[in-house]
This record gives sequence, C-alpha cells and structure tokens, in this order.
Amino acid sequence: MKRILIADDSATARMFIKRCLQIIGLGDAEIIEVEHGKEALAVAKKEPVDLLLTDLNMPVMDGETLVKWVKASPKLADLPIVVISSAGNPAKEKQLLELGAHRVLNKPVSPPVMMEALADFIDE
Amino acid sequence: MIEHKPLYQAMITAVSQTLENMVFMEAMEHFDSAYELPADDVVCNSILINDPIQGEIKFAMTKTLLRKLTGNIFSLDDDEIEPEQMDDILNELLNTIVGLFMTNLLADNQEYKIGLPESHNEKVPEVDASTIVWKLMTSEEDAIQIFATGASLVALKDN
Repeated sequence: MKRILIADDSATARMFIKRCLQIIGLGDAEIIEVEHGKEALAVAKKEPVDLLLTDLNMPVMDGETLVKWVKASPKLADLPIVVISSAGNPAKEKQLLELGAHRVLNKPVSPPVMMEALADFIDE
Repeated sequence: MIEHKPLYQAMITAVSQTLENMVFMEAMEHFDSAYELPADDVVCNSILINDPIQGEIKFAMTKTLLRKLTGNIFSLDDDEIEPEQMDDILNELLNTIVGLFMTNLLADNQEYKIGLPESHNEKVPEVDASTIVWKLMTSEEDAIQIFATGASLVALKDN
C-alpha cells in the first residue's frame, strides 16, 4: 500500500486533496495528514512515505523550506514532492522545481490535473 | 501602469472555477443586482493584496450557506459542525479565489503577492463609492458577495 503524506494547515485543503486522490484511484493509499512542514519532515524521517503533497504557505515551516530539507536529507532526497499553492507565481514555481519539487500545482486542483501530475506515481 | 485583463470578469471566473472545483457548485452573477445579504445571517473574511497592486478583498456569504458547505465538504450533520471548520472553509475558499483572481487579472507570468486570510466577522462590509462589489450566487441561488477596495486595485476597474 502506498503511503502519501499531505502537509497543509487547512483541514479543508487536506480534505480536497484526499477527495482528489480518491477520484484518481489512490483511495487505497494510506494518507497521513500534518499541518506544517516541520511535522511533515518528522513523519517522513520516522516512517518511509512514497509521496509528499505540500502546501506552500504554512505556519512553523513553509513548503519551500520543507522541500529544501527533504532534498538535503540523504534518506529522503528521492521522495517525490508535489507543491500545491494558491500563489501562482512563475518565479516561485521555477525556484521550487530547481530545489527538487517534482511538480507545482495551483489551487484549486482538479482531479484531471492531479492525475496528470501523479501519472508516474500511479503507474508504478 | 500595470498590464492587466478585465477586472470584473477576472473575479467571476475565479469564483466560478473555485466553487466548481472545491464544492462542486456553479457560480454566476446574481439575478437581482439590488440583492443585499441579510445582516443577521452573514459571515465575512478578508485578504490583502500586497504586490504589484495594493488592495483588500472581502468575501461574504450567509452563515446558512457556509454551514451547508461545511456539512457537505466534511460529510457532517448540522449539529456536528464546529465553528473552526466553518472558518477554515471560508479562509481556504477566499485564499484560492484571490490567487486565481490575480492570475486571471494580471498579464501572463506577472508575479504577485497576497497575504493570509483574516478571521471572519459577522457584519456585511461597508461600501463606499470606490468599492467594487460583485454580487454572485450559486446554482442553488445562495448569495455570495465580494468587495474590493484599495486605490491601485480599484484603478484597474473596467471602463
């Protein structure tokens, strides 16, 4: 069973992401929900996860810092990260991709967009 | 001068896309342009636009609609709904709407900065001559209103 970690301080946003995952056929995955990057990092280091979906603007540790920490960790460096943000900023998107994010998606994410972004992950 | 697309339509498209994707509802202009939200059944939150223009967007709907959305999204009965869940939905909707509004409004690839949604209050926002107001409704005829203020934002108003 795949383990998917969702980091977003909004319970509503996490609910929408989970609903999207169900619609695109990842309803069987084990979903772990956290509210900020620091918590996400702790969870990922403790038990392996297969995919990280993270918001950008979060308290305590934001999504950009989370991407940096994950990619700097030898244990987590290969973890695919999808950043989901309401700030559709091309410069920030480029920066996140350069830091190692797999994809950057703008809210609201529809199931077809999520499916396209996770195509490689779903096919594995 | 900021290069931009039509402001009024940018907001309508943002609200439509957000409601369709997040709560599976359509949004359109309210059929009654004189409609006002009932003062005793309203919730409102706000967010600042910081760059490249400055302004504030306020988002208002009836508490009744917000309760309905909260129940639908979290699959809860009415008596199970917590105020924090209602706040969270209102903030997430506004955050997403304003991000999309800025993307729709500004020329391609132009950067922008917005703040974080501020907690709601239960008053209909005050409107003056310079406030831009969008009066919208869902496919179930529940009203939603959006208010834009701030000189540099309002200056982009369509002629």
